[in-house]
Amino acid sequence: MSDETLPQPSESPEAPAGPYIYDYAASPQRQVVMPKTVPLPSLRTYEAEVKAAVAADEAKWQKMLADFETAKAKAEAEGKEAPKPPVRPVPRKDDNDLKTPWPQEAKDDDLHRLQERLGGKVEEIFEQAGELTCQVSKEAILEALQLCRQDIALNYEMLADQTATHYPAATGFAFSVVYHLTSISRRKRLRLRILVPEEFSPESACAVYPSANWMEREIYDMLGIRFANHPDMTRILCPEDWEGHPLRKDYPVVGWGQRDIAFREDRGGMLERIALQKAGQLGINLKQPKAE
Amino acid sequence: MGVSLNQPSTLEQILITTKVEKVMNWSRATSVWPVTFGLACCAIEMMAAGASRFDFDRFGAGIFRATPRQADLMIIAGTVTYKMAPVIKTLYDQMPEPKWVIAMGSCATAGGPFDSYHTIQGVDKIIPVDVFIPGCPPRPESLIYGFMKLQDKIMTSSLADRYKDIFEEVG
Repeated sequence: MSDETLPQPSESPEAPAGPYIYDYAASPQRQVVMPKTVPLPSLRTYEAEVKAAVAADEAKWQKMLADFETAKAKAEAEGKEAPKPPVRPVPRKDDNDLKTPWPQEAKDDDLHRLQERLGGKVEEIFEQAGELTCQVSKEAILEALQLCRQDIALNYEMLADQTATHYPAATGFAFSVVYHLTSISRRKRLRLRILVPEEFSPESACAVYPSANWMEREIYDMLGIRFANHPDMTRILCPEDWEGHPLRKDYPVVGWGQRDIAFREDRGGMLERIALQKAGQLGINLKQPKAE
Repeated sequence: MGVSLNQPSTLEQILITTKVEKVMNWSRATSVWPVTFGLACCAIEMMAAGASRFDFDRFGAGIFRATPRQADLMIIAGTVTYKMAPVIKTLYDQMPEPKWVIAMGSCATAGGPFDSYHTIQGVDKIIPVDVFIPGCPPRPESLIYGFMKLQDKIMTSSLADRYKDIFEEVG
């Protein structure tokens, strides 16, 4: 079958050259998109944002007033009718009931007790949606955990969860390590948080809460934070020879090619056995018997 | 008492002429013993296929062996991760010839929804696969249909074909 008999595709530039092939490597799911913001909940950041928004609104209003004054003076000079005075726009009412609860002032006694006992080592305390958060300095985390566990007024017996997040856009720190404590006797929960820069080893919580052992190993496996004084700081989910830490934001979803393995070709270990046989180490004769 | 010429003789009544290869294939196809080996949710469907409602034993494949050295079939039922791949390869190597592999479900055939760093995109990158069964997870009927396809493949296979490429490699 010759090519002349086939209908030739039109030469318009819109027409694709051949059959449509999805560019698998260029698909948007496979691109590493680094976040530009630091979505870390913090009362200080929230107050600064609110203040900046109010200041921007005020600046906009002042600019409108100034524009009105210049337009008015110009109209008077030209003998025209004066323009209308501006009306300050009322902020639009947001009826969205799915809004994120914003951080609020700490009212709980536990947070104030932590601040009182730890002093300057507490960087920030706030509440958000009824959850207590206390951010301590990264060197004082073991002290804070000991206090939470042993202080009779706090009495947080259980480390329910320990996890970390990567914030590549942040300045001054790269990760936040979060400790979720639960007090079974007092039916309360508390969140401790430290901000850790790259290559910093925070103190391991295993001395206070033994359940931190595997969670810290998981954090090391997924994000690469090495905890100091940990009994066994090795990978827990990935194999021992794994390269990279998959939950970092700069890690591609498809990995660094570890999954593209192919030991299909060595069919049932046959090539290896043949190699062994050629080396004279295997007594099995795989050769086809030939007729004399 | 007259003897009809159309009546077969006694010898013809008790003898069937066939090929050795056909008998071998028939015996192999009707007693395929799988390995007890499941990786993810497809293994639940595999267990359901083996249980009384679907009764995999009707096809001679209900005896799930606890060791690969007594098994003929490996049903890859579930997601194949990078960490599990050498284990699967070792189990496959431990199975005696002739051996067959069924890739069950979309994860084992092509990675499924897990287009991620840790999932092998199809078990055929590791071991040769005879039958692919689509589905997420496939119902026991699908597994049984795929197994019947494998039986057809075994019935049409030749003893010489199976080892031809190996003999060619050895020379």
